[in-house]
Amino acid sequence: MNTVEVALGCAAGSALLAVLAALVVRRRARPAVVGTLTAITGAAGVVAGAAALLGERFAVELPWIVPLSGIALTVDGLGAAFLAVSGAVAVAAAIYGIGYSHHGLDSRGVQATFPLFVLSLLLVPAAGSITTFLVCWELMALTSLVLVVSEHRRRAEVASAARWYAVMTHLGFVAVLIGLLILSAPADGDTFAAVRAAAADLSPAVAGTAFVLCLAGFGSKSGIVPLHAWLPRAHPEAPSHVSALMSAAMVNLGVYGIVRVGFDLLAVDAERWWWLLVLVLGAISAGYGILQAVVSTDLKRLLAHSTTENMGLVLVGVGASGLFASIGSPVLAALALTAALMHVVGHAAFKTLLFLAAGSVLHATGTRDLDSLGGLRTGMPLTTAAFGLGALAASALPPGTAFVSEWVLLQSLIHGLPAPDAAPAAAPTVTVVVLPLAVAVVALTAGLAVVTFVKAFGVGFLARPRSDAAAHAIESPATMLAGMGLAAVAATVLAVAPTLVLPTLGRVAAGLVGSPAPIADAVSVELVGVTGLLSPVLVVVALVVAAVLVVAIPRVLAGRRARREARLWDCGGGPLSPRTEYTATSFAEPLQRVFDTVLQPVQDVDVTHHQESRYLIAAVEYRRRVPDRIERHLYEPVLSFVTRWGRAGRALATGSVHRYLGYGLCTLCALMLLLVLA
Amino acid sequence: MTDSTTLGLVGGLLQAVVIVAGAPLLVGLMRQVRARMEGRVGAGITQPWRDLRKQFRKEPITPRGTSEVFRAAPVAMVAITLVVAAIAPFVTAASPLPGVADLFVVVALLATGTVAIALAGIDTGTAFGGMGASRETTILALVEPTALVAIFALSVRAGSTNLSAIVDSTLAEPSAVLSPAALLAAAALVLVIVAETGRLPVDNPATHLELTMVHEAMVLEYAGPDLALIELGSAMRSAVYLGLLANLFVPWGIATEAGVLALLVGVVAFVVKVGVLGAALAAAEVFLAKVRLFRVPELLAGSFLLALLAVTASYVLA
Amino acid sequence: MSDTAYVQLLNLTAGAVLLCAVLVLWRRELAVIIRLFAAQGVALAALIAVLAWHEGSPELAVLAAGVAVLRAGVLPAVLRRALGTAREGTEPVREVRPVVNVAASLLAAALLTLLAFAVSRPIVELAPSPATQAVPIGMAVVLIGFFVLVTRRRAVSHLVGFLLMDNGITAVGFLTTAGIGLIVEVGVALDVLLALLVLQVLTGRMREAFGNTDLDELRELHD
Repeated sequence: MNTVEVALGCAAGSALLAVLAALVVRRRARPAVVGTLTAITGAAGVVAGAAALLGERFAVELPWIVPLSGIALTVDGLGAAFLAVSGAVAVAAAIYGIGYSHHGLDSRGVQATFPLFVLSLLLVPAAGSITTFLVCWELMALTSLVLVVSEHRRRAEVASAARWYAVMTHLGFVAVLIGLLILSAPADGDTFAAVRAAAADLSPAVAGTAFVLCLAGFGSKSGIVPLHAWLPRAHPEAPSHVSALMSAAMVNLGVYGIVRVGFDLLAVDAERWWWLLVLVLGAISAGYGILQAVVSTDLKRLLAHSTTENMGLVLVGVGASGLFASIGSPVLAALALTAALMHVVGHAAFKTLLFLAAGSVLHATGTRDLDSLGGLRTGMPLTTAAFGLGALAASALPPGTAFVSEWVLLQSLIHGLPAPDAAPAAAPTVTVVVLPLAVAVVALTAGLAVVTFVKAFGVGFLARPRSDAAAHAIESPATMLAGMGLAAVAATVLAVAPTLVLPTLGRVAAGLVGSPAPIADAVSVELVGVTGLLSPVLVVVALVVAAVLVVAIPRVLAGRRARREARLWDCGGGPLSPRTEYTATSFAEPLQRVFDTVLQPVQDVDVTHHQESRYLIAAVEYRRRVPDRIERHLYEPVLSFVTRWGRAGRALATGSVHRYLGYGLCTLCALMLLLVLA
Repeated sequence: MTDSTTLGLVGGLLQAVVIVAGAPLLVGLMRQVRARMEGRVGAGITQPWRDLRKQFRKEPITPRGTSEVFRAAPVAMVAITLVVAAIAPFVTAASPLPGVADLFVVVALLATGTVAIALAGIDTGTAFGGMGASRETTILALVEPTALVAIFALSVRAGSTNLSAIVDSTLAEPSAVLSPAALLAAAALVLVIVAETGRLPVDNPATHLELTMVHEAMVLEYAGPDLALIELGSAMRSAVYLGLLANLFVPWGIATEAGVLALLVGVVAFVVKVGVLGAALAAAEVFLAKVRLFRVPELLAGSFLLALLAVTASYVLA
Repeated sequence: MSDTAYVQLLNLTAGAVLLCAVLVLWRRELAVIIRLFAAQGVALAALIAVLAWHEGSPELAVLAAGVAVLRAGVLPAVLRRALGTAREGTEPVREVRPVVNVAASLLAAALLTLLAFAVSRPIVELAPSPATQAVPIGMAVVLIGFFVLVTRRRAVSHLVGFLLMDNGITAVGFLTTAGIGLIVEVGVALDVLLALLVLQVLTGRMREAFGNTDLDELRELHD
């Protein structure tokens, strides 16, 4: 018996048991039972993924479950990585959900859908045929939609967000469906193996169309511009543990789809322009996403935009990898793909942590608006520490989780240009133009990410509370802290000891690209084939030693005096009120001005005068909104066109049942006449 | 222990001591040059050390309402700069920790130091703290692309981003310094250093007007030993940045083998190079006015263009 | 069974099916329409029985019996219940002012039959046999059933039109493939039964709401 097989079976069994328990157990105990069983599902997923990454393979075909084609499951290296990530996020989210589910979230429907969602996240990377993949993909979309809509009685925006999500995820599904069906047309059978074998028979135009369609559908799921509009709407409105699952596990599966189609199924047909397109889209998404995050004042929306940015960076890595593969540098291709996979893993860890911490804040204060938070350090010290750790990890600063993957990505991009004294004209013009710009975009997004997370952490958690809700916040219950703790441990381990997973991911990438493993099995990150060495452990050790020295030496030399607490300097005018604190809007204002042409904010100043005299001002209200420009220029024309057609179509609906049926009869007869005449 | 490891360890220790001791002297030198050129007598090169000694002896004060972030930020900043001072190639080309002496890591570590102070600025809860943090992080974000692309330009020649490798490749091929790529990269890096260390025309280190402050606004609430650490940290940052600029482009004099004479020559060469650069920077400041905050992005865009041209030149032209 | 007898019986039963459909279009009393539908069910069962006798397949014979029970027994009973005891005075309930008058309906039926013949020609040419040559009749029944659905105002006539379509589809199915498989046939039959039960309940509700089952009362479904 294969470990992978046992673990997957255990995961499926425990998920179905959780669904049953959700329908049967009483309300008091429901979240605890369902949460524990779902955590077991996630843990089994992690075990399955880890076993498969270490070399075990698993494939099974069950033709009797779904008629006409059956279910086929295949777990290989690439799928195993995503399987393990989904499972790990599910464990943290499920444990967190035990404490978070209350009034409304502990109903039978929501609690029963949650384990199904987790199971579908585990099955999509394990799918081995196109039908299985599409069935599990649709299951994932439907269950996540039900979960997004679960709080609709409390807030009005939830319904609108769910509508956007439903429409866009199904449009994406249609694109993926058509693309995969094009791929499976010349193959006998729809298993991945058959499609792979028949890929060589596809003409370049057909293969290109299929890839672009799959890119559109999978890219929409990952939140890539311009099909990203659902992400900043749906992720904030979902319950926090569901947001964590969606942002840290579901969006990865879009990347999984692109890598599977481009590097595995269509490997023989891949062309350079495909990967350039992926790289360009990734770069634009990264830049646009982080820019929207910088000017965002809603805590969860900020995190959702940051997801778009991180997925953009992952696609930059994937695109660069394909580009390097197409110009004949397999080592660099493997390195870039390893960086992308590592970023997926790291992003899952810190994004889970951040969303769970944001959920804690929402749970304690009832608001997500950064401009009315602040001062949470006194009331919620553990949540503050967790968010601080997540912010450090997300802002790509050493020692941090994102820094390692960004370092590997930058190394692969930088070594793409060979030294001038090497073989002349070895790299085509496209790399000379694209690689420096890619490095610049990665750098800009890293800088903007620093600003975003300094703003989110500083304004939201430090200084003094800006509203009563923030002043009266108390720490979350133990299960929520446990979930956050798990995610924090994962993020720290990945930051300090990334070589636990990097060489394995390197082998997976090398297998896809066909090159030797790009990262050596050593304690520090050592690159093979190009020169590069990074040792995060030593960075941490050096910083700790230096900090000890800095604290100890002045104490030894200058003696120690007790610390005294004093008033903040207020120019002698009395204690400062929280209204003088910098808000999130004001913190981001300089950057908003710099990127004015891209963001085009809409500002409103309302001045209310006294009734008695127009020279005296009673109140001034300043409102600033940063709309999504891509939505305005791309989505609104499409939506207004569809609305116009809809209005024109209303004339057909007069109310008479006979007329409606008559439409059907006439259409049928017309079609038949056409058949006869043709 | 191999030769390069001993060299690295001894050199690292020596560098750290030299930078900690010499950074306030560097700041004093820059102020003295500026004073003399402006027609003043000046306070002398050792004045910053006298100020530090006075402040270290004062009573430590914590403003009410701040958290551990405020107390830990000065320690973090100085610790980070100390680590960079120990591992980067200033006195020796070999590094005690090769896994840390990577140009990306060094630039990112110095950015982490800025972030620590920015968080402390927000933690005070005053308007000036937030303002300083907001402006400082904006400039940091806009400077990142230039810094990384300039690193790209430097690493193409050396084939790696390891600091020791870059220094070694320049030592092996001295004429590469005069190549267009290196000159363009140097110009871009000068602007990066001006922005990161908070000197004119991006920020005036000697201003008293809070609304024109960028770095000073974040540290308005610090006093006593904390302020001393902050001042020491900024001085060390200036020294480290100038040292990197010097040794990446003009590394002659750096010790390449273990030996008392070689190390001594390395120390003297380092001190002289950093001193000359600091004096030049201070002299240039006399003739420059501070640029409006919203004109700074234009300046940084110009330096980005230089860095991009450096990369293209480093590939196209040998 | 001799070939000519088989062909004769087949054409007879198919013709009976078509005749019942045309008569549904002609007659206006609802009780008569239901009886005609039952008769069509019997004719359809006879068609399947003839096929069963020719093929010598016991499965088809069972299916013929099942069709007889369902379409000549159960469904007309449900329809009669939907008709209910409502009577306008002592007159039997009849169809009032059809959307298209009787003469035009019969002409339309003729045109639809021609269309059905034209469309079914390729299918007949694919596998010429006495069974497939009766396929156009089944298609014509489908189209006539749809026409009834479109032009009748009473709910019960609607239901009869829907069931005529189903009868025609079943006929075409049996004539082309000699059975679609037991599972599918049972499934479709249960489907139809369920739909009919639902529609019976709806007809009752309509009567309670409006006093009659005239579909023109349902004008609310518009902008």
